[in-house]
Amino acid sequence: MTEFLQLLFQGVSLGSTYALVALGFAVVYRSSGVINFAQGAMLLLGAYAVSWLAVDVGLSFALAVLAATVMLALAGAALHGLVLRRVVGQPTFVLVMITIGVGIAVTHGVEAAFGPDRRLLGDPWGAAAFEVGGVTINTVKVWGIAVTAAALGAYFAFDRYTRWGLAMQATAADEEATLSVGVPVRRVHACTWALAGALATLGGLFLAGFPGAPQPALGDAALRAFPAIVLGGLGSPVGAVVGGLLIGVVEVLTSGYAPDSLGTNFYAVAPYVAMIAILLVRPYGLFGARPVERV
Amino acid sequence: MTWAPLIEVQDLTLRFGAITAFEGVSFDVSVGELFAVIGPNGAGKSSLFNALSRVYEPNAGSVRLDGRDFLRVRRDRLAALGVARSFQNLGIFPHLTALENVLVGRHHLMRSGIVRSGLGLAGREEQRHRAAAADALEFVGLACHADTEVQLLPYGHRKRVELARCLAMEPRVMLLDEPVAGMNAAERVDATRLVQRLRDERELTVVLVEHDMGMVMQVADRILVLDFGVPIAIGTPEQIQADERVIRAYLGEPFDEEAVAA
Amino acid sequence: MRARLVLLAVVLVMLVLPFQFGTSALTTATFVVIAAIGATGLNVLTGYAGQISLGHAFFLAAGAYTGAKLGEDLGWSAALWIPAAGVVAGVCGALVGPIALRLSGLYLAIVTLGLVFIGQHVFFNAESLTGGPQGRTFPPVVIGPFDFSAGQVLRLGGLQIDSNGLYYYLALALLAGATAFAWNLRRTRTGRAMVAVREREIAASVMGVDVRRVKIAAFTASAFMAGVSGALYASYLSFAQPGEWSLLLSIQFVAAVIVGGMGTVAGPLLGSAVVFALPTLLKNLPFLPEEAAGGVSVSDLSSIAYGLLIVAFLVLQPRGLVGLVNQPKEAHS
Repeated sequence: MTEFLQLLFQGVSLGSTYALVALGFAVVYRSSGVINFAQGAMLLLGAYAVSWLAVDVGLSFALAVLAATVMLALAGAALHGLVLRRVVGQPTFVLVMITIGVGIAVTHGVEAAFGPDRRLLGDPWGAAAFEVGGVTINTVKVWGIAVTAAALGAYFAFDRYTRWGLAMQATAADEEATLSVGVPVRRVHACTWALAGALATLGGLFLAGFPGAPQPALGDAALRAFPAIVLGGLGSPVGAVVGGLLIGVVEVLTSGYAPDSLGTNFYAVAPYVAMIAILLVRPYGLFGARPVERV
Repeated sequence: MTWAPLIEVQDLTLRFGAITAFEGVSFDVSVGELFAVIGPNGAGKSSLFNALSRVYEPNAGSVRLDGRDFLRVRRDRLAALGVARSFQNLGIFPHLTALENVLVGRHHLMRSGIVRSGLGLAGREEQRHRAAAADALEFVGLACHADTEVQLLPYGHRKRVELARCLAMEPRVMLLDEPVAGMNAAERVDATRLVQRLRDERELTVVLVEHDMGMVMQVADRILVLDFGVPIAIGTPEQIQADERVIRAYLGEPFDEEAVAA
Repeated sequence: MRARLVLLAVVLVMLVLPFQFGTSALTTATFVVIAAIGATGLNVLTGYAGQISLGHAFFLAAGAYTGAKLGEDLGWSAALWIPAAGVVAGVCGALVGPIALRLSGLYLAIVTLGLVFIGQHVFFNAESLTGGPQGRTFPPVVIGPFDFSAGQVLRLGGLQIDSNGLYYYLALALLAGATAFAWNLRRTRTGRAMVAVREREIAASVMGVDVRRVKIAAFTASAFMAGVSGALYASYLSFAQPGEWSLLLSIQFVAAVIVGGMGTVAGPLLGSAVVFALPTLLKNLPFLPEEAAGGVSVSDLSSIAYGLLIVAFLVLQPRGLVGLVNQPKEAHS
């Protein structure tokens, strides 16, 4: 029983990180219909940025996180402004491929710049933990869940109660109409991508936290968050959160309980298997909706 | 011209959630007839067309083609049943040439699958159908543009390609969605004449949706008027032009001076 | 007319290549041509039918392991295991096809992504077939009296062709076949139907195109060509481990199709030339710091280059290299 609770806790912790990553995807998709395949690379970049600022440059950890978040937000906005803006109106396939291209370039660029070895994240928590009823609770994981909850809460409030949130929804629904009522659509898009960058930093930060570390393979971890958004239904923030939590729990429980017959490291592909299984039954995910096509 | 109804629409209703696109639409179209559906913007005309061409699933009502239940037909079986449709937002394929676009219309009349096509064994069939497609392009006067990518052609030409494609399908019924929309005066005259020729020379039954009153009154045998998704009149052009409800739908209520002064 | 002369010139150059260039260049060229077979398949799926697929590596692997099983474990002739590789991969493609029907573009991209990961997982664990993480050897091409093993030399009249040359010519012949197939396809009913499905799926189906059939056919044909390509590739490498069939490989093929020019005939070869010759090219660049000294590794540099190439071409020249050469026809009025 304790083992199950232990795994459950770890699953929720991992899941909340995936939820953060998935939210980054959902935000971009909602406003532009693009799946940002570069989110994993941005996540990697975010984790490395924090690590570099905290360890190499010597900033305090909180400051490093803040600075990294700002940097990634700017990077996200730059990606939109420099590249994506030039391909407005092209089929989604093109936009997706561009994010794939950017993702590859950035992922390998990070590896080229920092080398293939693990780094220190520079966080104050390390392996610190405490016990509750036989279950080991790592401090970093608690922070992860807390920050995720706070970030999600902030996003939902932003989405529902502020003008910018409304503007993003409107842009997602009908860009031309939104433009014609005077909403600065370009700025909305830039804002969306900046938000995605910021969420990527937070996600990368906690994925790289104990027992992980900033290392090139981190980008692949983000790929496991893909099933989260697809499961939840593209463009549904609630779906992203539910999907993320589900995937995290599935992954950890699988690592703990999967029979050997399924192969070693089955947990790494379990999210994808789960995703395909659900898609066969519900082709638009748990919370997704069939896109309307005007004929 | 026989007068047995080819198409029978009964009480057709389509809703999108809380919004009703159209409701209780009933009409018959006889073989060889040119039947028009008109109405102010947003009246539900294109939605009706989409329901008739199996793009949308109606919520209630029935459609019969030749006495058989049409609503059970799969979308890709329409062509085989002799129903061809043109699109308001252009259903042409931008990166194919004019001839290739028309050839897609011949798809249901051809047999070669991927294996025969890829191995180069479809030559004779290709030749035969290219000739037919070329004829269709000739009919609409675009034979000279056969090998031009359709996205490079002006709007009026593209609509004509679509018409040619419908023709090449060798249909019995043509559903034309705003065939003269976006055209200038000269193009309209040409297109109107084309539609008339289609009906006369090729003995087609035509159902069309249109905004251009002049064109409709000139070519239609009978007209259905929709307003806010509700049928408000059905009859010959003369009857429709004199119908009070139609006039009200297009021009609004008569100006009431007393009500304004009060 | 000019296009035909250019084509003739290119064909001639490709035919005499083994006799003009050294082994290293020939090896690279052989890899490029083998890859181009797979790229031609992907071009049919993505360039014609518009289906996003990141799963190409899986079909390459399916072909490769089929070849290994039949050619090495069972000792069959290459005249059998090469087509068999195509067939097995093609069947896999046909099975993936129906999933594509239910899912729109983006969902499909992610599912094909999943296919690569799940595939690799299976390959890492199926030791009897793949050798597990250590990998396994793959059979050389042997067709009757023709043996393509390293060290074999074929004497034809006064000419000497070594095993590299043999692989090169075989790949060239298969590429010619694949290209002819794709070219025929584009000019006939099925190819047009694929493009129609890509551009306006609903309109196409109203016209009588069976969208389901078209998509499954596209996946099957594409997977078949990938299977042949993969089998030949593994055979030429003579050894590979499951890590070979990675997402990066899939993306290299997508890059090749995009850079070459989606939906064009020459695109797959041109794009493959750029993408698959790139690492060799980079290795020979003078200013590259030593890998051992902690400098930038060639593979990282290649990957960065792929990423940037994809972005650059899509933003600046969506018609690819072919588009650079052909100016679009002017509009008539």
